[in-house]
Amino acid sequence: MDPKQEAIKELLIKMADDQLIIGHRHSEWIGLGPILEEDIALASIAQDKVGQSYTLFQLLHDQFGTADPDTMGFLRAENEYRCCHLVEYPNGEYDFSLIRHFLFDHAEYHRFDMLQGSTFEPIRGIARKFKSEIKYHILHADVWVRRLGTGTEESHQRMQAALETAFPLALGIFEPSPYEQVLIEENIFPGEDALRQRWLETIQPILEEASLQMPDPSSVEPAYGGRRGYHTEHLAPLLEEMSWTLRYDPEAERW
Amino acid sequence: MSDFIQSLDPRIVRLQVREDQPFEPKEAGDQWETYEVFHQAKTGARLIHVGSLHAPSPDLALVFAKEQYGRRSTTTDMWVVRTADIFTLHRQDIDIFETAQEKLHREPQGYMEVRKYIEEFKKRQQQEGTSDGSEAGSH
Amino acid sequence: MYGGGYIPGSASPQETPKEDPEKLAEFEEKINRGEKIEPHDWMPYEYRRQLIRMIEQHAHSEIIGALPEGTWITRAPGFKRKLALMAKVQDEVGHAQLLYSAAETLGKSREQMINDLLSGKSKYSNVFNYPAKTWADAAIIAWLVDAGAIINQTTNSKGSYGPYCRALERICWEESFHLRYGYDTVVALATGTKKQRQMVQDALNRWWRPIMHFFGPPDKISVHTEKLVRWKVKLATNDEMRQQFLNMYVPKIRELELEIPDPILHKDPETGKWVYSDPDWDEFFRVINGNGPCNKERLAVRKKAEMMGQWVRRALHNPRQQYVTPLA
Ligand SMILES: [Fe+2]
Ligand SMILES: [Fe+2]
Repeated sequence: MDPKQEAIKELLIKMADDQLIIGHRHSEWIGLGPILEEDIALASIAQDKVGQSYTLFQLLHDQFGTADPDTMGFLRAENEYRCCHLVEYPNGEYDFSLIRHFLFDHAEYHRFDMLQGSTFEPIRGIARKFKSEIKYHILHADVWVRRLGTGTEESHQRMQAALETAFPLALGIFEPSPYEQVLIEENIFPGEDALRQRWLETIQPILEEASLQMPDPSSVEPAYGGRRGYHTEHLAPLLEEMSWTLRYDPEAERW
Repeated sequence: MSDFIQSLDPRIVRLQVREDQPFEPKEAGDQWETYEVFHQAKTGARLIHVGSLHAPSPDLALVFAKEQYGRRSTTTDMWVVRTADIFTLHRQDIDIFETAQEKLHREPQGYMEVRKYIEEFKKRQQQEGTSDGSEAGSH
Repeated sequence: MYGGGYIPGSASPQETPKEDPEKLAEFEEKINRGEKIEPHDWMPYEYRRQLIRMIEQHAHSEIIGALPEGTWITRAPGFKRKLALMAKVQDEVGHAQLLYSAAETLGKSREQMINDLLSGKSKYSNVFNYPAKTWADAAIIAWLVDAGAIINQTTNSKGSYGPYCRALERICWEESFHLRYGYDTVVALATGTKKQRQMVQDALNRWWRPIMHFFGPPDKISVHTEKLVRWKVKLATNDEMRQQFLNMYVPKIRELELEIPDPILHKDPETGKWVYSDPDWDEFFRVINGNGPCNKERLAVRKKAEMMGQWVRRALHNPRQQYVTPLA
C-alpha cells in the first residue's frame, strides 16, 4: 500500500479505537450516575462514541479491506490497538470521568472540523455528521466543568486534581504519527500539532471561567505510546471483557 | 477474602462495593428542583408539554431535557421552565372554565341563519318585481 | 422492563381517614365516566397512598433492573448488540425518571422515595434479585421479563391517574423496542451453534421460576383489591396477566425448540387455561423479604452510586432553589 493510503488507514484506526474505548468507559456509568437525568445524558454520549467507532471501522473495511467492524473492534491483539492512554484509564470518580470527557471531546470536535475539508473525500460527510453529535458532547462537558469548577470547595479541588491527572494523558492524544508529513502534504489532515494548538486555544478560556488552572503544557510530559501499540495496564482487562462473549464460542456466526 | 462484593458485573467489581455500604439518607433538595419540558416535533407544530425533570439550573435542565425528552423523536425546538415559575389556578378553582351560559354570540354556530334571511329577502324582492313588471335579481 | 410486576403492599394498611361521601361519590363517578384524575384533584387518601406505592415501586424496579442487564454492557458481543443494550438500559433509567416524576405529582419527593428504597422500606420487583450469569441471561431478561412488563404496563396504562398513564404511554412504546431486541437476541442464540443453544437453554432454566413469580401470587391467596379495581388502580388480576403471558410466549419459546422447565405445563383444553407446577411461593416471599441471591448486592450498589454522586449534587445545589412538585 502506498504511504498515503497507509497514512489514512492509520489515522482512521486511531480515531476509531479512541472512540470505542472511551465509549466503553462512559457506558460503565449507565445506571450508576450521580442523578438519573445525567445518567441518561452520558449514556447517549457513550452510544454516540461507540456508534462513531462502528462507522469508522465500516469505512476502513469498505475503503481499505480491513476485517469486519466486530473483528476490528473486539478481536485484535492488544498491541494492535492505537488508542491513547487517556481513554484507557478506569472511570474512577465523576471528576476524572468528566474532565477526561471534556479534554477528549474538544480535541475530537476540532479533529472532525479539520477533516471536513480533507482531500480524503469519504471522511468529509462523516465528519460533518459526527460534529453535530460532538457539539452536544462539548455542551454537556462545558456546563459540567464550569459548574463543578466553581461549585463548592470540594468540587473545585476535585476538578483541579482530576485536571492535573488527566492533562498529561490528554496530551497523548496528539502523539505524532509516522505519517504526519504525508497527511499534511496531501491535505488529508493538518496534523496533530495544529490540532493541539487549536485545542489549547479552546480549552484554556473555558477552564479559566471554571476557575481551574491548566497545567503548563511545556512543563508536562505527554503520555505517549498508545499510538504505537504500547498501552497502560488498564487496556488488556477491558479488551478481555469486550471480547468475552465473542470468544466464548468462536464458531458462532451470529450473536 | 476481600471485603468487597464479588459481583458478576465487572463494572461493580471495579467500583469496590462493600455489602454494608454506608448511606446517608437524602435531605430535601438533594435532587435539586424541577423543570417542565416543552418539545416541538416539527416546524410549524406547537410546542407541547412532555414532562418534567430535575436540574440545578436552566442550562443543565436543557442539557438533560435534550436526551430524556428528545433522544427518541425528531426535535425542532425545546424549552425548559422552572416548575416554580409556572402560574396556574388552584385545582378547586378550575371550574371557572365551565361555561355556564350559552355563548353563541362568540361561536360560528351563532351565525348560521344568514342564508335564511337572504332567501327570504330574495323572495320578497321577486314578488315585488313581478308586481311592478321590472326584472329582478342579477345585473 | 419492568412494569413493577407484582410487589406486595404493607400488610396492614394504615388507618384511613373517613372520606367525605359527597366528594367520594363525585370522584368515583368521574372515574366511571372514563375521565382521568389529575394531580391536584380531590382524591381519597387510600387512592393516593396506593398509587404512590405502586408507581414508586415501579420506578425502583426500573432503576434496580438496570443493574443485572448493565452487567453485560461491556461484554455485549459486537457493535450492534452493544449499542442496542446500551440504549435499552438507558431507556430503563429513563423509565425510572418518568415514573418518579409521576409519583412526585402525588406529593412524595424523589429524595424520600430513594431513601425508602435504600432503607428497604419500599420494595422493587423480585425478578431483579436474581443474577444474570451469562449473555443469554441478559437476552432472556430483555425478551421475557420485558414481555411480562409490557403486559403489566399496558394494563396499567388504562388506569385512572393521568400522570401515570402518560408516563406509561411513552414507556410502552419504548418497551416494544426492548421486546424485539430481546426476541432477536434469543433467536440468534437459539438458532445458533450447540454452545449458544445450551447457553440460552440454561438461562431459560434459571429465569423461568422468577418469571412465573413476576405477576404475583395466585388470586386465591392475594389480598382483596375490590376497591382498587373500582378506582382503576388495579385493572387485571395476577392470574389473568400470567395466563396472558403464557398464551403469548409459550408457543414462541417452543417454536425455538427450547424446553420450558416445567414438566406439567400445558393448556387445559376445557378451561382454555394454562396449568403449571407450583412455582414455590415460599421462595417468592423469602426473596422479597431480602433473602434472594442478589438483594444485598443490588442495594449496596445503589447506595454506593448515590454516595459517589453526593459531592456532585451538593456542588450544584442552589440555596435559593425551591422545590415544588412537578405539575403534570
Ligand atoms: Fe422499563
Ligand atoms: Fe424494558
